[in-house]
Amino acid sequence: MNRPRSSALLALTLVLIAVGLLVLNLAGYLGPIQSLALRPFGAVQGWIYSRVAAVRSLLTAPGDVPALREENDRLRAQVSELEQEVIALREQASEADILAALLGYARGRPENRYLAVNVIGRDVSPFIRSIWIGRGSDAGLLRGMPVVTERGLVGRLAEVHATVARVQLITDPATEVNVQLQTSRSDGALRAQVNGELWVDLIDQTAEVPPGDLVLTSGLGGAYPSEVPVGQVLTVRQRDFDLFQQAVIQPSVDFENLDIVLVITNFQPLQLTPEVP
Amino acid sequence: MGYLLGVPLMALLAILQSTVFGTFRLLDGAPDLVLIAVVSWGQTGRTREAMVFALLGGLFLDLLSGAPFGLTAIGLILVAFLVSRLEGRFWEANFLLPLGIMVAASVIYHADLFLATAASGRPVDLDIAITRVFLPSAVLDVLLALPAAQLALRAHEALFPPQVKVG
Repeated sequence: MNRPRSSALLALTLVLIAVGLLVLNLAGYLGPIQSLALRPFGAVQGWIYSRVAAVRSLLTAPGDVPALREENDRLRAQVSELEQEVIALREQASEADILAALLGYARGRPENRYLAVNVIGRDVSPFIRSIWIGRGSDAGLLRGMPVVTERGLVGRLAEVHATVARVQLITDPATEVNVQLQTSRSDGALRAQVNGELWVDLIDQTAEVPPGDLVLTSGLGGAYPSEVPVGQVLTVRQRDFDLFQQAVIQPSVDFENLDIVLVITNFQPLQLTPEVP
Repeated sequence: MGYLLGVPLMALLAILQSTVFGTFRLLDGAPDLVLIAVVSWGQTGRTREAMVFALLGGLFLDLLSGAPFGLTAIGLILVAFLVSRLEGRFWEANFLLPLGIMVAASVIYHADLFLATAASGRPVDLDIAITRVFLPSAVLDVLLALPAAQLALRAHEALFPPQVKVG
């Protein structure tokens, strides 16, 4: 058998294996295997992501730069173990700051029970906006649970494995959130555009929507709890011939710098749309 | 031995793609480490291993993605197969040619992801995908292609030294 033909046969065989796995997955047979495989993956992912987050906070904290440079000069003269120690301490301090802010948020909403979870990675597909967190069904997490930070709504759990879970962000185009505008109390539907912008659609034409108006979850539909901040109105598009007006909003959460999130564990979503992978 | 090395290597690259390189974004594009590794290894002439790496790497990426399990693997196998068809024809003609191959590989890979995402019913837009994902990703992949090709060549020489006749 010549080499090109043998390569084609190998490629065909591998594609058939991949298709077989795809079919098995769609039929739901691979769930336990995926959970098992994600255990070591989640552990390594979490370890690496926490180091990346520590280095990122080291590089992006503008107020700390002069002090850090000075400290760095001193540390250069010391052994590398001490440098490692500094990075580890900064990571803990950064985590403590985040946890303190999250705790303050949780105390302000005593009706909810929260579980603080580390972010361990991002979705590798550029067309899906989701993150991986380092807890799963072993910690009592269930699909559909809302995820927040002290700044507002992050998304909800779309996939839950034993030790990790995937959070579908509200910036994912497949997500829809029922929201309410704070000033006019008008309802709307938040949808992320494929270019990453967040739009609130289906706002009543007669509603006053001032720029800067706060957008909160309405709780309608039962997928998310009510009164969770989502963002602020940037601009409004109102045309006489349209049935509804639309607003572009600035999300209150910085989705690029999520390190720790809170999962609301006592919220039971009333309905779940079928999962769109 | 190459096949054995592929499992931990592809797993590590998939994790790095999800953690470290997931934060180095240009618009919505990010470097595709597994794709770069598969193409680079294919360019060393180990095309059959590259195809197996494509399956393994694709499955690891699918584990870390909300996309249907297996779809990324199919795209990567297709890319590895195309690299195998070009084996030995261009690589030594001009050092810039591998970069062209990487651009083509990146576009094919993202086109596969795009089609799979669209087929699964998620809202996608081709124009936006081209400007925000295809092109930025291709740029980042090409930036890493040359060092990756050199690294793959060195690894190939170390693992599979050329046989010489003595006497």
